Amino acid sequence: MKEDKDLPQENSSRRNFLRLGLLAGGAAVTGFGINALAQEDEKPALSGEKVRVLTPDGKMVEVDASSINNYPEALITPEESRKGIPGKKFVMVIDLAKCKNARKCVESCQKAHKLDTNEEFMKVQLIQDNPEASAYWLPKPCFHCDEPPCVTVCPTGATFKRDDGIVLIDNDRCIGCKFCITSCPYSARQFNWGHKDKFDDKSQPYSPETSVPAAEGTVMKCDFCPDMLREGKLPHCATACPMGVIYFGDRNEDIVTNGSETVRFSELIADRGGYRHLEHLGTKPNVYYLPAVNRQFPLERGFDIEPEILERYKDVPVVEEYLKNQNS
Amino acid sequence: MDLDIRKRELVKEFSPMLTKSTLTSKIWIGILIAVIATGLLAFVLQVVKGHEVTGMRDNVVWGIYIINFIFFVCLSYSGAFISGILHFFKTPWKNAVSRIVEIITVLSLIVGPIFILLCIGRLDRLHYLFLYPRIQSPITWDIIAIMTDLVGCFIYLYLTFIPDFAILRDNSEDAPNWRKKLYRFLAIGYYDTETQRKTLHKLTRTMSAMVIALAIVAYSVLAWIFSLTLQPGWNSSIFAPYFIVAGLYSGIAVIIIAMYLIRKFYHLEHYIRKIHFTSAGIILLIVSMLYGYFTFSEYFSRWFSHKISDAHLLETLFGKYFWQFILANYVGVLLPVFILFFKKLRTIPLITFASVVAILGLWLNRYLIVVPTLETPYLPIQDTREEFVHYTATWIEWSLSFAGVAAFILFFILLMRLVPIIPMSGIIDYERDQDSKKHKVSTQN
Amino acid sequence: MKSKLFTYFTCTMLFGLLLSFGVQAQINLDDYKILYKFNTTKQVDNTRLLEVSFVARNNEDKTDILPLYGADIIFYNEGDSNDVKLGTVQTDQEGFARLVMPADYKYITDAEGYINLKARFKSTDALPSKSKSLAVKDLFLELVCEEIDSVKTVTLRAYALDSSMTKAPVEELDVIFSVGGMISRMPFREETLEDGEFEFEYEANVPGDKDGNFDLYAFIDDNDDFGTVLVSAKTNWGTFNKQVQAKKNTLWSDVAPIWMYVVLSILLLGVWANYVYSAFNLLKIRKEGKAIEDKK
Repeated sequence: MKEDKDLPQENSSRRNFLRLGLLAGGAAVTGFGINALAQEDEKPALSGEKVRVLTPDGKMVEVDASSINNYPEALITPEESRKGIPGKKFVMVIDLAKCKNARKCVESCQKAHKLDTNEEFMKVQLIQDNPEASAYWLPKPCFHCDEPPCVTVCPTGATFKRDDGIVLIDNDRCIGCKFCITSCPYSARQFNWGHKDKFDDKSQPYSPETSVPAAEGTVMKCDFCPDMLREGKLPHCATACPMGVIYFGDRNEDIVTNGSETVRFSELIADRGGYRHLEHLGTKPNVYYLPAVNRQFPLERGFDIEPEILERYKDVPVVEEYLKNQNS
Repeated sequence: MDLDIRKRELVKEFSPMLTKSTLTSKIWIGILIAVIATGLLAFVLQVVKGHEVTGMRDNVVWGIYIINFIFFVCLSYSGAFISGILHFFKTPWKNAVSRIVEIITVLSLIVGPIFILLCIGRLDRLHYLFLYPRIQSPITWDIIAIMTDLVGCFIYLYLTFIPDFAILRDNSEDAPNWRKKLYRFLAIGYYDTETQRKTLHKLTRTMSAMVIALAIVAYSVLAWIFSLTLQPGWNSSIFAPYFIVAGLYSGIAVIIIAMYLIRKFYHLEHYIRKIHFTSAGIILLIVSMLYGYFTFSEYFSRWFSHKISDAHLLETLFGKYFWQFILANYVGVLLPVFILFFKKLRTIPLITFASVVAILGLWLNRYLIVVPTLETPYLPIQDTREEFVHYTATWIEWSLSFAGVAAFILFFILLMRLVPIIPMSGIIDYERDQDSKKHKVSTQN
Repeated sequence: MKSKLFTYFTCTMLFGLLLSFGVQAQINLDDYKILYKFNTTKQVDNTRLLEVSFVARNNEDKTDILPLYGADIIFYNEGDSNDVKLGTVQTDQEGFARLVMPADYKYITDAEGYINLKARFKSTDALPSKSKSLAVKDLFLELVCEEIDSVKTVTLRAYALDSSMTKAPVEELDVIFSVGGMISRMPFREETLEDGEFEFEYEANVPGDKDGNFDLYAFIDDNDDFGTVLVSAKTNWGTFNKQVQAKKNTLWSDVAPIWMYVVLSILLLGVWANYVYSAFNLLKIRKEGKAIEDKK
């Protein structure tokens, strides 16, 4: 019996080896193929919780982004969030001369607050003040007014103004009456109309300072990123802007910075003619704008965005013409 | 006149209305229940799927629900106002219509706030309105005002029901047991003695005065929800008086329609006479003219001074909403005025037709107050999603609106089964007064 | 036979799949340029920060930057005969490796008084080794803020150790004076120090915090000899006059204007008192009615 098996075994072992080799090769190739098909583009989509890094072995992987907040110590409960960061009076200055509609502020805010693509706390509008004036891009966050009409009309006190000037919304208290949305003259607030899966994400405890996770049937808006401010960092929009359009700081200190330049707030406003939007309404906003003079870029640079986004501005004469010329 | 015999006669006259149900009434009730059921289904869908199923989106966050809320509450307040005036000034022919008016008052005040609840995003947190109220908010004022008004109108309605319950309690031997027990309980031992009658009259008179004041204050508060904001089209100084006049306008119109329908279906031509219609018609005429005057003032000053925000609003009103605007503010005002102006045209069917036009016009006017302002904010909307730029109500909102109207009508019919729609005690009081007058005349002679 | 083949096939298939997943996205490193930077900062508390930035930048899309994560960087203090290893740090998610040396650490200096530092990355299969060196002289800065004869004077003295290890004033040095803010420093004066000392009158009127305190910084930015040095001093020269106090009892505060409470109470009291009065009278009617019924 053994002899019988000797010869065929030799041959079969070689055969088996070859077979194994072929199978392994074929399997690996199929595996790679499937994987390659699964990944449609070179840059995988970021979920907002992971970062792409290169390992020393030359491989690109995604790792969990280190959270800026260390819970549970860093948690500011809704109760605590009603008191502001002591001694501060936050103010933002937006330099319209430099804005070219890169929309990095919009995107970084959406990533940080886990917003969908069409939910925007920071909106970029295209404004043309009068037919002779040139149009300009207007990044518009919530202005955190000193005399906020939204806070006045809230029947349950879900939205409140803190001592450091920031106006926040407590999702645990909001009943969704939407009075504040109708009351804001700057259209800064948004409503969560239906259920979204991201509301069920319990990985982060809720704090009005992070506005994450949002809740169905409640209101949300720009919050000036108090969680970043507590760490001594700028809000996400200010950090992300490639042109340094957004300055942020403390009015008590009289210093604002955009990440690279740090200047005196009062001097900046005085020298550059800073103004606030719709001043006559008496809301006393805390976001100042520097007029769009000496523009650094032509307006058309900002048209290089997705066509659906450009569609938004189709009522502005400049864009109307641009679209007409494009189609012709 | 022997009181007891008269009372028995009256009960005999009115008890078919309370107990009999004809085929038509059954069919009507069936239809109404079907409409309400659809509304309930729509409500469940809304609760389960969220407010996404409505047409409201981030710019027009208030839609048909708020419009219905204002509409019904304005019916209520005008009803309170009118019935208060009728009672307080002891208008001679008030008896036939007073109960109709009072029932409209209470029912619309129950149906109206239900609409506002539909608009609230988190119904599970409604109690926060009472746990953490903020007194600076016009919504808090509105809640207090509506609750106070509801209790007040309810008490007032009940006060007028008591003598009738007493009469029914004493004269319905062949009524089913549960009815007898109900009447006994609700009549709270009223036996029409001197003291009792005096107390009741005093209470009713005080309440009627109070209800007028409540109506004015409470509806002003509702108007302030809009006019205390900064929005173009809402931030107007005459909103409160405007709303009160508009409320009266729709209230009278609903009263006329109710009178017409009740008169027709219950064959009450003897009680609800032409004089009622003509008087109501004249009041409607005066109020329409006032209402037209206020509407004109609102839009004329905006048009004339043409601030940018006002100009945009008017553009929308005369652009997208052109036909609604014409219907609401031109046809809705001028047609009733025209019909009611000429004596020859003041026939009962035509007066009712004028009221129908008035009601539709007013509802459209409320729509034109709420929605276009939200579609033309100070900073341009600049969104590509159509539902975020313009508001279109969905079937859920419409079905809930019709369910509200159906509920109103259904409760009205059910209340009419409880108590006769013409107050019997009123008839007796009237006849008693007539008798004493005749007696006086005859003794004088 | 067939079943055996089948099991072989599936096992190797799974194995191959696993392999491929482990590999994830195999990027082509030729498309990327490896950027390796090394600098040092002497910080406010006299500790020395050694920082390496190790990233890969896409040649075509300059905004596509991949940080190297988990790479071992070894810091050395180079001496004549041997290198003293200062520490090993792994790069973080942003590609930075930071080592903080204590303030009193005695470095090996060369003949001219320079501290030679090196940061080295050992090569791997995919990446070549990287090494960068720099030489800094230890700079001692003294920043003093005092009021001399009621004039706010800021004095900066700068010393370096010369070849004989004695403190010698620095010949020429570019300095930026700045004021500390919550997030960053605001420069207000740029000077060139001569002979190791500079004095000036502080004229800027920065508010500071609510007690008028703020930090004044002197910043040497990437000097050839000394690298980056930062020193600070606390002062009380802030001109903070008033903090904008939020008004109380406004429409938007927690507590409403008092008159609102008063008016509301009066109105509600009046109305509900009437309701109670009505209810009371109705009960009276009921009592009388009961009496009549009992009589019957």
